[in-house]
Amino acid sequence: MTNGASGVLLVVETRDGAIRETSRELFGIGRTLASETGGSLAAVVLGSGLDAAASEAAALGADRVLVADAPELAAFTVDAYAKAVDAAIDATSPAIVLLAGTTGGRDLAPFLATRRDAAYLVDCVRLARQDGSWVGTRPVYQGKVLTEVRAAGDGLTFATIHAGAFAAPEPDAGRTAETTALELNFAPGEIRVTVKDLVQAEAGPSNLEQAEVVVVGGRGLGEAANFKLAEDLASVLGGAVGATRAVTDLGWRPHYEQVGQTGKTIAPKLYIGLGVSGAVQHTVGIRGSDTIVAINRDPDAPIFKMADFGIVGDVQEIAPKLTEKLRAVRGG
Amino acid sequence: MKIVVLVKQVPDPNAVRFDPRAGDIQSGTPQVANEYDLHAMEAAIQIKEQQGDVEIVAVSLGQARETLNRCLAMGADRAIVVEDAALASGDSAVTAKALAAVLRAEGFDLILVGQETSDGGTGSVGPALAALLDVPVVSNVVALEQQEGRLTVQREIEDGRQVIDLAPPAILCALSGLNEPRYPSLKGIMAARRKPTEAKSAADLGLEADAVQSRVSWGALFVEEETAEGIILKDVDADSAVDQLVAFLQERKLV
Repeated sequence: MTNGASGVLLVVETRDGAIRETSRELFGIGRTLASETGGSLAAVVLGSGLDAAASEAAALGADRVLVADAPELAAFTVDAYAKAVDAAIDATSPAIVLLAGTTGGRDLAPFLATRRDAAYLVDCVRLARQDGSWVGTRPVYQGKVLTEVRAAGDGLTFATIHAGAFAAPEPDAGRTAETTALELNFAPGEIRVTVKDLVQAEAGPSNLEQAEVVVVGGRGLGEAANFKLAEDLASVLGGAVGATRAVTDLGWRPHYEQVGQTGKTIAPKLYIGLGVSGAVQHTVGIRGSDTIVAINRDPDAPIFKMADFGIVGDVQEIAPKLTEKLRAVRGG
Repeated sequence: MKIVVLVKQVPDPNAVRFDPRAGDIQSGTPQVANEYDLHAMEAAIQIKEQQGDVEIVAVSLGQARETLNRCLAMGADRAIVVEDAALASGDSAVTAKALAAVLRAEGFDLILVGQETSDGGTGSVGPALAALLDVPVVSNVVALEQQEGRLTVQREIEDGRQVIDLAPPAILCALSGLNEPRYPSLKGIMAARRKPTEAKSAADLGLEADAVQSRVSWGALFVEEETAEGIILKDVDADSAVDQLVAFLQERKLV
């Protein structure tokens, strides 16, 4: 390490004063990498009203906790969050900064890496130190394939971590850590955008989060009218209908049916994807499902890598046959 | 007002197939405009239609003549392409540095770009440009209104939609929920033939070779071994596939 940089800094996002699940997942990999650099594990916790979150960071394994607690950090903005993380980097001189692959993390990491002329490894599903370099594995081409990305490791490096790639450690409530508040003192105009409101996704009549069976339709259904295939199948199974972001973006279905990173997280006994390709933004929301079934025309669709049962074929032909057969089975 | 739209030509995501021998995607995959970039382009045109006195410049790095022609046919006024193989094969930081050089030379009030590309998909270029050009960035944009010189933007995040107020200059990264990109009209396609596309080299942009060294290298592409448990039926007729699926669901007591 040059400049005596060692150890790992975790950028920990919170919601309503608690650490977000995707940020909790940073602590296990963070601990492993900290040992590999021969340094300690620091965490900067960001948000507003963070006493509980700071203790939680210690319980999850941080040796040192920096608390960036300010009203300006209640809502995410690149300017405010970058200032706080910058201050934490200056205070800890880490070898690597790990961020969750959230919308915020994916904004902050390239912004800060560019300002500091540092390497940035995106969306890693694996990350290790090899012969002094940082080597990450990440999905590319919309998750169809993986590649290994490598950075020299001779200076500060940033990495975002793919949601669900690493397990969050069990918290140890007895654990404590050196905890410091970061003095940020935001100047007027320093945050160049104003967050006026947060519009919560409309709850809607859907019971997606409780349903034991969820049938999700993706863009592979072809058009809005073909969602009838998903509705019919869900109906015969007594399940709920969900949609991918591509579908809600197209206006085929209401936003409250969206499943994934910016929609609902579901954990049904049975998930059936019709024309769902399995983009990361969607699969992070379904990984708690017990059984995953996928029907898609594209044999390379990433959903088949996590499916318990998959059929490569024409969803418009197969789905009605499946509904009919299930109706016969259940009726008989 | 001057709006610069950043676009990239990418392998058609619907045609991308992995070639295990090459450790890459199949060669000869058709190239298309990156989808999110077309939403950025559409947003620029809508601002121009609403406001009138707007110049739209489409900018791309790497081979992108067809994509730029499409942007011109949609309604961009002119295009700039940086056709430098070394720059085009660089990492996202190199891409951002090259585009920043174009943007500094051009000047801009607003930069619109797709949230991410369908190939590398780092989503890094918008935030990196914000750092290089010292302007604010708002990502994951799904709604955009312009009034009296200010922008009201909605961005989609994990907790809902943030409603954001800001003033140009700024960088906005578009998602597909933002709008429906128009198809070029015949009139637009004819008009595009008379619109200029300017080619620039790294030297034109004053970029020194060592200033644009990639810090992150990509290895060969690969896929994980299929998980043993997953049953994937290929080339099985629909009736037989459905029978097998129903038997599987019954075995797991799911029906």
